[in-house]
Amino acid sequence: MSPPVRSILHADLDAFYASVEVLDDPSLRGRPVIVGGRADERGVVSAASYEARRFGVHSAMPLRTALRLCPEGVFLPGRFERYRELSEQVMSLFAEFTPLVEPISLDEAFLDVTASTAVFGDGETIGRTIKERILDEIGLVVSVGVASNKLCAKVASDLRKPDALVVVPVGGEAGFLAPLPVSRLWGIGPKGAERLAGRGVTTIGGVAALSPATLRRLFGRHGDELGRRASGVDPSPVQPWGAPKSVGHEITFSHDQTDDRALETTLLDLADSVGGRLRRHHLSAGAVQLKLRYEGFETITRQAGLPRRTTETTALYELACNLLHANRDPSRAVRLIGLTAISLSSTEQLTLFDGVGRQDRLDRTVDAIRRQFGADALVRARLIGRRIRRSPSDRPNLPDERLDK
Amino acid sequence: MKILVKQENLAHALQTVSRAVSARATLPVLANVLIKTEDAGLKLTATNLEIGITSWVGGKVDAEGELTVPAKLLTDLVTSLSSQNVELEASAKDRTLKVTSGGSRASIKGIDAEEFPVVTTVGEAPTFTVESRALRDALGQVVFATAADETRPILTGVLTRLAESTLTLAAADNYRIAVRTLALGAAVPAETVVVVPGRSYAELVRILPDSDAPVEITITTNRSQILFHTAEVDLVSRLIEGQFPNYEPVVPRKDAWTARATIDRESFLGGTRRASIFARDSANIVKVEVGSSDGQGVAVSAHAADVGDNADELEANVEGTPTTIAFNARYLTDVLTNLGSDEAILELSGPLAPGVVRGVGNDDYVHVIMPVRTAS
Repeated sequence: MSPPVRSILHADLDAFYASVEVLDDPSLRGRPVIVGGRADERGVVSAASYEARRFGVHSAMPLRTALRLCPEGVFLPGRFERYRELSEQVMSLFAEFTPLVEPISLDEAFLDVTASTAVFGDGETIGRTIKERILDEIGLVVSVGVASNKLCAKVASDLRKPDALVVVPVGGEAGFLAPLPVSRLWGIGPKGAERLAGRGVTTIGGVAALSPATLRRLFGRHGDELGRRASGVDPSPVQPWGAPKSVGHEITFSHDQTDDRALETTLLDLADSVGGRLRRHHLSAGAVQLKLRYEGFETITRQAGLPRRTTETTALYELACNLLHANRDPSRAVRLIGLTAISLSSTEQLTLFDGVGRQDRLDRTVDAIRRQFGADALVRARLIGRRIRRSPSDRPNLPDERLDK
Repeated sequence: MKILVKQENLAHALQTVSRAVSARATLPVLANVLIKTEDAGLKLTATNLEIGITSWVGGKVDAEGELTVPAKLLTDLVTSLSSQNVELEASAKDRTLKVTSGGSRASIKGIDAEEFPVVTTVGEAPTFTVESRALRDALGQVVFATAADETRPILTGVLTRLAESTLTLAAADNYRIAVRTLALGAAVPAETVVVVPGRSYAELVRILPDSDAPVEITITTNRSQILFHTAEVDLVSRLIEGQFPNYEPVVPRKDAWTARATIDRESFLGGTRRASIFARDSANIVKVEVGSSDGQGVAVSAHAADVGDNADELEANVEGTPTTIAFNARYLTDVLTNLGSDEAILELSGPLAPGVVRGVGNDDYVHVIMPVRTAS
């Protein structure tokens, strides 16, 4: 009996560190951004935007070399706390689709969505939804590979970066890998590639055609494994880590805000999406954290405990408003506002007298309607026309790709 | 003032009234006990302004008078005395209490009785009367369900309703409700509803004798205080102002369950306690499966990711649709400890609907626990 066909996604944020810098400072958009340090420093490139890559700049390259290749590059030191923060947001968004999320690094993860397809649609649909939501809600572009195993999903996501959605059809794994260079295969480094080239093998298909004995001679005890991988077989499971520690959203205003009402309305929008994500996630919040960045980039975060664990939009909103009024310096304009649910727990003690039953049923009904008819199908009156979503025109105009048909 | 009393009686009375002395008194006089000769005996009173306790000790009065002295000092002294008789003597002039017993003499500096707050004692006609033991047992079944935190002060109290010939006591901390009814000897003339601080009732439970002696209960005409009077002791408590939440719609009707189990109370309590050992690291949540093992048992279990797990299979009489629900273990152990019946009934109507606990043969008590929503 063959194992059931799995649906595995590999999601990889495009030029992650550089994209975060552009996200936080839109004036960098379209410019070659190089994260790693000042150009006159020793050190290497941690990340380069696609604009910088056109000059030949790539990660792990010495900064001096990068400067020589791309003298007009914007060299930035890197803000790893910030990257980690956004990474957590991305990972917790993944976790809304499946508990089986295996983060590989800050900017990539495997998702096993086999059991989620009945709810969210097939792997391709989930991949597309994830891409849209990460762009809409976080502002980052992600490439997604969809396949029946981790190996093919990973190779697929990497194939047409950036902003790719590449689907490997079930049964087409070997055919998908066959024309690709051997260096794309896990376990084959430069030395291995050299050895294969010596035998005239440059594609993964060529590796798959080698006899087990030849593979063993070339790669020792890893030979068998390599042969299976070259044929597109990879049974390794997606191994999830623990549950997320926070669920948050934040928004950078296009014009710095001074109006309390506008800030409150934004908080309502943020609470709406954070609450929805908590509920999808089967998590409740014990506390709320408010983040404010003033003009001039000074940033404060303040947090307070909720009177009881909750997933309710209104409870998150009310506490966030209290934090805003208690902590905001009214003389300063706000550039960014964020709301994060913290002290998360996968359990929630239900209550008797807070009308919780009603509010909770209302929230969950709204969630269900939005899942079926789209996020804008049901909007609070206060948020009509004000829901802060990036317009589709902000999105790089690249078509999704798929390889079947 | 000069009076001769028995050491044993005085020590007991001092220990009783000391419960009302606040540990961190805002006024110095509140750390004191008021002693006063009255009705051929000694009246002792202490108050923290929320409750006041008064106790009487018989004695031989030589001179009338009153004074307040530090409660802890006098209590510690009197309880350590070995002689049978204690003589208390005070003069208003030097505000000092002389305590003489056998060869022991002490003098304690006090504060004028004038400075002590007025504590209501019996005087008005009692509103109603109940048997001491019955009241004590009824209070024991509800007081633990009051809220400990003061975010909603009304929930720190016990709803006390008199209607016709029934006393209803109800407590709720937003996660559970305990409701107990008690038959009164006679019908009350008009419905009366007050909310009594849970702490006051907890003290009353300590004070009430385990006997069928009557407790006279009076609600002051201005509805600000409630007074409990027995032969030996009075407790007066302030009342909590405000509207107690309407709990009645939240209590499921008696026939509303979809799963019901009748379980030996002690086994259920034991199973819950064992599970809660494992639940300590996972928010104290235990899972109760009604209709385990082919629909004919109840399983109580807990799981802690880093610790391990535990499951108790209990024999039970199960009816209806098998249902699994999660509760905070403490809420279950609290009610099972105080249920007062040998067999417990658990009624469920879904994993997220309130669970009901009753005692077999006790229609006068119902307890509702809100479940915990879990991810699985």
